[in-house]
This record gives sequence, C-alpha cells and structure tokens, in this order.
Amino acid sequence: MATAYYEFYRGSSIGMALTDSLDELITSGAITPQLAMKVLQQFDKSLADTMVKQVKAKTTLKGHLKTYRLCDDVWTFIVKQASFKMEQNEVITTPRIKIIACKNGDAIEAGKK
Amino acid sequence: MSNKIVPSIYRAVIDDVIDAIRPEFEEFGVSADLVRKLQDKWEMKILASRVADFPVEPPPPQPTYPYPALPHATHNVPAYVPPSAAQQRLKSGGIDARYALATAQYAFPPLPGPTLPAQNKNTSAPVTAAVYTLPQTDGPSVSEDDDDLEPVSVPTRIGQLSGAPVGKGELAAGEGLSKDAEQIGSDLDDDSDDSENDAEEGEEAQSEIDMVFCTYDKVARVKNKWKCVLKDGMIHAGGKDYLFQRCTGEFEW
Repeated sequence: MATAYYEFYRGSSIGMALTDSLDELITSGAITPQLAMKVLQQFDKSLADTMVKQVKAKTTLKGHLKTYRLCDDVWTFIVKQASFKMEQNEVITTPRIKIIACKNGDAIEAGKK
Repeated sequence: MSNKIVPSIYRAVIDDVIDAIRPEFEEFGVSADLVRKLQDKWEMKILASRVADFPVEPPPPQPTYPYPALPHATHNVPAYVPPSAAQQRLKSGGIDARYALATAQYAFPPLPGPTLPAQNKNTSAPVTAAVYTLPQTDGPSVSEDDDDLEPVSVPTRIGQLSGAPVGKGELAAGEGLSKDAEQIGSDLDDDSDDSENDAEEGEEAQSEIDMVFCTYDKVARVKNKWKCVLKDGMIHAGGKDYLFQRCTGEFEW
C-alpha cells in the first residue's frame, strides 16, 4: 500500500462525481476530510486497476497539435480538429481537446526520487 | 465500443471502491448508511452527467426487440427489485413476469418497472391495459409498496421519456423503486427537473474542454510530426466518456 496511484483520474467525470459527493458529505459534517482523502485514494487505485484489467479498446488519434508541454514527466497536448478512431469504425471528432498524460507506470515515482 | 463498456467499468469501479471503503468508514466510526448515501450521490451524479448509457434500470424501450429484452429483463430485475416483498412476487411470477415485462415493453415502453409486481398479481389482465389500470386496481388491495410505487412512478416516468434521455430517467426510477416509496417521488421528480435543465445546460457544458486523461509510453517528434503512444486513457469528448487501453496519436504541429 506504499505505492500511490496517479490522481489525475479525479478530474474525470466519474472522479468529479465522487469528489463532489464527498464534498457534500464533508460540508454536511457527515465525514471528515481525512476519510474523504482515503476514499479518493481508493478510487485512484480501483479505477487504475479496473482500467488496466478490463479495458481492451484501442484507438488512434489524429489532429493538429497546437500546443505541447512537458513538465515533471507530464505531457500536456492541446490538439485542434482531433479525430479519434475507435474500434467498430466509431469516429469521434472534436474541435479542440486537451490531453494530459503522465509517465507510464502506476506509481507516482517523482515523489520518491 | 469504448463508450459502451463505460457503464460496466464504472459499475465495477464504484463497487470496488465502496467495498474497500466500508471498513474505513467503520474504523472512523461513521455509520454504514453513509456508505450507501455516498454511493447513491456518486451514482446520481454520474447518471446526471450522461456520459454513457447506464442500463442498470429495466432495459430501455426497444419495441423492435422484445426477445433480446428478455435476457435484459432477467438480468436487470434482480438489480432493479431489491430485497423486499416485490422480489418474492417476482419469483412467484417467474417466466410469466418476464414475458409480461417484455410484452409490456413492446406495448408501453415507459412502464416496464411498475408493471412487474403488478403483472404477477394480475396475470389474467390484458397486458396493455394492465399497464395503466393495474396499479390502480391492485395497489390498495395488496401492499403499501405497490400502492405508493405505481401511481407515483407512472406519471413521472411518462414525463421523462417524452422529453429526457431514456437511460437516465429509467435508471433514476429504478433506483427510486429500490428505496422507500416516499423517496421514489422525489427521485423521479428531481430527475425530471434535472433532465430538462441538463438539456439546456448540456450545450453550455459541452463548451467545456474535452479532455483525455492517460499515461504515455512514448512521445516522439520528427520535425513537426509528433507521434505518441498513450495507455489506459479516459476520453471525455462531446459530453461522453470513452475508455481505451492504448492509443496511438499522430499530430502535426
């Protein structure tokens, strides 16, 4: 349990839903912030493990790269006119999308260095 | 494809997290009710975001596919009808209930749920008529749950399905039915309001930035051509979520 998991999934829909729910409970005094932190840490772990185990979809992405940034082993791309090609010929296009990618590996290694 | 698997993945994550934090909650001296409350809040928000279709409810209305609805019915009914008197009635109805459910869906998509316990009690009644008349005739004579369930859920369900996304409305109704009768009305009412609001706000919300959360294996550049290999990602685009295990990207800067 010493290894931590990336926390960026907390910004996703499911992560924000959990964070908001926890905030509501904290505000109402039902739970402590420490307990909420534990829940979020468990969420990081569960989501990461489930994604690795159960998600098998592969996709390709094309677009025009507007901005790129690398800081602390985190790449941030802003892509214009992006199109994702999923399996079963599913194509998703967006005019603008931001990609946040951490270095591969479950644990947050930077903190340990 | 990766959007279709989202509900099951989210379901797995929610269950995993809730199971894991239950002992933590006990350790902190917090009641188990709060775990349930947290889970409900969490699920409601995820449903409200409509990032995917969530089939926890009795299957969405598909009048052209009554037979595929059967396995759906059998799958969803256990989740839909929680430990209560309704469950026993379901078992006694057995196959009749499921056929009734499928045909009820065929005739009246809005009301698969409430008809289920009703069907069991009054299998002789014609299905289509039963959807509307049964709740009123059977409710008072049998149990409180039905009495409160059906009259309340019927009008609000219809309201939702005419305007709002099916999955959300039905799902909320299903979860409502799994709680006390009093909460059902509020859940459905809230969702019918939310669905209208979301339809209006959805357009604004979709002006939010589309994001991808993932890890990278490799990022390379040759002149102005970028190539990257991304792993275990969650895409939020156009208000919907997609998941991938691997994504190869090619961009021009």
